[in-house]
Amino acid sequence: MIREASGAELAPGREVPAGGEVRVAQVATVRERDRFIRFQEEVYRGDPWFVPPLLMERHEFLDPARNPFFRHADVALFLATRREEVVGRIAAVEDRNFNAFHGGRTGYFGLYESVDDPAVAEALFGAARAWARRRGLASLIGPMNLSTNYEAGLLVEGFESSPAILMPYNPPWYARLFEGCGLAKAKDLLAFSRSSHDPVPERFVRVAEKIRNHQGIRVRSLDLRRFGEEVERIKAVYNSAWEKNWGFVPMTDAEFDKLARDLKPLVRPELCLVAEDQGEPVAFSLTVPDVNQALKRVGGRLTTWGIPVGLARLLYWQRRIDEVRLIALGVKEGYRRRGLDAVLILDTIRRTRDLGYRGGEVSWTLEDNDLVNRAIEAVGCRRTKRYRVYETALD
Amino acid sequence: MRDLFDKCASWKEVQVVKLAGRYPYYRVIDETDGTEVVVDGKRLIMACSNNYLGLANDPRVREAAAEAARTWGASTCGSRLLNGTLRLHDELDRRLARFLGKEAAVVFPTGFQANVGAIDSLVLRHDLVIADRMVHASLVEGMNASLGRTRRFGHNDVEDLERILAAAEPEAGKLVVVDGVYSMEGDLANLPAIVALKNRYGARLMVDEAHGFGVLGAGGRGAAEHFGVAGEVDLVMATFSKSLGSIGGVIAGRADVVNWIKHKARPLVFSASMTPPMAAAALKALEIIEQEPERRERLWDISERVHRELRAMGFDTEPSVTPIVPIVLGDQVLAFDYWRRLTEAGIFASPVVKPAAEKELVRVVFMATHTDAQIDRALEIFERCGRELGVIPYRRPASRVEVRLARPGVSGFWSSRPEGAAAAGLAGGGSLELGELLGRRDEPLARRLADAAEVVTWRAVNAGPEELRELRELPVRLWRQRRRIAARLLSAGMERVARARAGEERRGEERRGDDRRGEEARP
Repeated sequence: MIREASGAELAPGREVPAGGEVRVAQVATVRERDRFIRFQEEVYRGDPWFVPPLLMERHEFLDPARNPFFRHADVALFLATRREEVVGRIAAVEDRNFNAFHGGRTGYFGLYESVDDPAVAEALFGAARAWARRRGLASLIGPMNLSTNYEAGLLVEGFESSPAILMPYNPPWYARLFEGCGLAKAKDLLAFSRSSHDPVPERFVRVAEKIRNHQGIRVRSLDLRRFGEEVERIKAVYNSAWEKNWGFVPMTDAEFDKLARDLKPLVRPELCLVAEDQGEPVAFSLTVPDVNQALKRVGGRLTTWGIPVGLARLLYWQRRIDEVRLIALGVKEGYRRRGLDAVLILDTIRRTRDLGYRGGEVSWTLEDNDLVNRAIEAVGCRRTKRYRVYETALD
Repeated sequence: MRDLFDKCASWKEVQVVKLAGRYPYYRVIDETDGTEVVVDGKRLIMACSNNYLGLANDPRVREAAAEAARTWGASTCGSRLLNGTLRLHDELDRRLARFLGKEAAVVFPTGFQANVGAIDSLVLRHDLVIADRMVHASLVEGMNASLGRTRRFGHNDVEDLERILAAAEPEAGKLVVVDGVYSMEGDLANLPAIVALKNRYGARLMVDEAHGFGVLGAGGRGAAEHFGVAGEVDLVMATFSKSLGSIGGVIAGRADVVNWIKHKARPLVFSASMTPPMAAAALKALEIIEQEPERRERLWDISERVHRELRAMGFDTEPSVTPIVPIVLGDQVLAFDYWRRLTEAGIFASPVVKPAAEKELVRVVFMATHTDAQIDRALEIFERCGRELGVIPYRRPASRVEVRLARPGVSGFWSSRPEGAAAAGLAGGGSLELGELLGRRDEPLARRLADAAEVVTWRAVNAGPEELRELRELPVRLWRQRRRIAARLLSAGMERVARARAGEERRGEERRGDDRRGEEARP
């Protein structure tokens, strides 16, 4: 177990004194998975922006019996230790759906955490590479926690605020460690944010309204009473909308249902918009209150010595969330380049303001998706964060 | 007209391999003490014997065999059905049934015959037998001989097995057949999941414990004991030519089933029974296995060391989690080349090629009786030859993935491949369960309780309609199973007492041994 005493030694940014072989072992028991998960506490001790995930949520996420992702992917978790102390962790993933979809032999790495020590990073990537090579994979991309449908990318710009819901966060030195291990940039992902006080540019409103009236598009809220049917509709649009995107892998029904189930308690139907053309859903946007604001006050545990303090905090602060994140906006093939996204963005901004939110984040977009990025900047969003996906070839 | 023998005359493959000096089979051993052998006047370390505990060369076992030959003669010259059942055979039947925790058992002349006989006699027309794709040839032979329908499922692919079970005719009697330990690659059957499936679909399960017997589990009863599902296995098969240092096979199970096999299995009925020396050797070896758990410990220690060191050198030993160490090479020529270099350097190992294994490998097994010096020498040779052949990098890799073996007390995975470890969750071992949490004896109670409260709270918050229904039905279920719960508690308690007593005895013996040594030391 990670002992309290080691906290100082593992504090972020501090070099652990060299010496002692770094051993990397694959996680095989629930107990080691527990160590794997809890190692994060050590890395981020004292970090003001870190949002500790719920311990149990992480366990469920990494439990092959509970997370449908594991049905189409093999995941190996590795723990690096030095003198019995955990000093790093990494996951190696072969997502069969991704390779079937893109027709390559690519693996992911992810869930990376470590102390600031190149030897540890080297050992971890060594283990992930060896694992991937043995399975005949040709390259690794990441960090993917555990695919682009969950959290992706390494934060490289914008360290001065907490991450939004389902966005990664990490210490600034990881980029240096990654590059030191021979990883190179594959693609950057961008996050934008916007304050509700800023007015929407007049021109944008005019154009969006024109599109709405001209094309007879009706925008409606999500109907929570018919949640199952709504999920089906959105699923169809989602998987067709992202098809051509870099790094995209379609979600299986089980994955989509799980995500929908997980998000359901957070969702405000007013912020989940479905655009319909003569009753047929052709685009959707999903905006949710940034529950990370509340999670940050919880500290990863629902209970303290058996008393549900964390749960009470979560429920209390959940009602005081004042920011949102626009997670996804998708337009069905055949309806693209017709400005439907502008209509959805405009409505989202209006509703966010009317519901009393201070503002929010729009994330993430691919850095070279100019059409979308320009539209987002046109409504007065500022670019606030940059996440990097790295890649490395396996010889 | 074609001559039947033509194919033999024109069969070139073996001749080519022989000419190339890479023919590894039917080697003549001139001398052996178990751990080392002499071949062509050259002394080699034996590194591929199945004599796991070294009992074939144990003086007590040799003496028992010799004594039986003197008392009972060299052979019974008769089938067990008629004049071939000596008191030795009867005792072996009973002792093995008790050891394996089954009602009855019957001993066959060889393990091969036991497998063929059991399947052939049990699986009749309209029945269905389903086996793992990698099961031993004798099980396949049994399936071929039987009149029933036969299906194979992907190696340890429980989803595939479930598909076959689900599609089977409800009327058909179903037998699922797996190896406990897969002999070439050293991984285990995913027994917890397979047991769950066979129960769900009302099938019977037969486990071939040939390589697990005497090696796996706290008592050396095999893979089923290792996973804690021994009671759920309907038919256990074991051979004597591995840990028991003899030759022969046994089928253990329900009394009426064993009785059926005793009368219907043709390989038993139409074959002379096990020879008296072999039966006596097996009896003696069984006694030693029960009395000397330290042999198993030693075997696991050696195996762990060999796995670890080979991996540190850069070799691939996946998917093994047992003393069977596959040095995976993935290429037939490479496997034969590496084998030849090993032989020249002083190691007797065996190359294994497709279809016996998924990837070509050199199979390495050490015995409990190998000395540390022998292991040192062998490891040095593995590394040197590996480097010369370019199988491993010249410098040892900076990091390695530690191996975790299926030693007693370490459960929940059946393969050192990630899917074996990660997918353990599917068998129930991978979720953060309350029992698991509370059972962590080396952590403070307060912490365990706090973690348990966290789990309960999380479950309560996330309870869906299914969980709520389950919760409502819980009292009813408990009431229905009240007898079984009482019985289970009672047997668990008795087991604990027995274990404590055995431990005490062993400690007592050690103390006595220490005393004796003390006396010897005194002048």
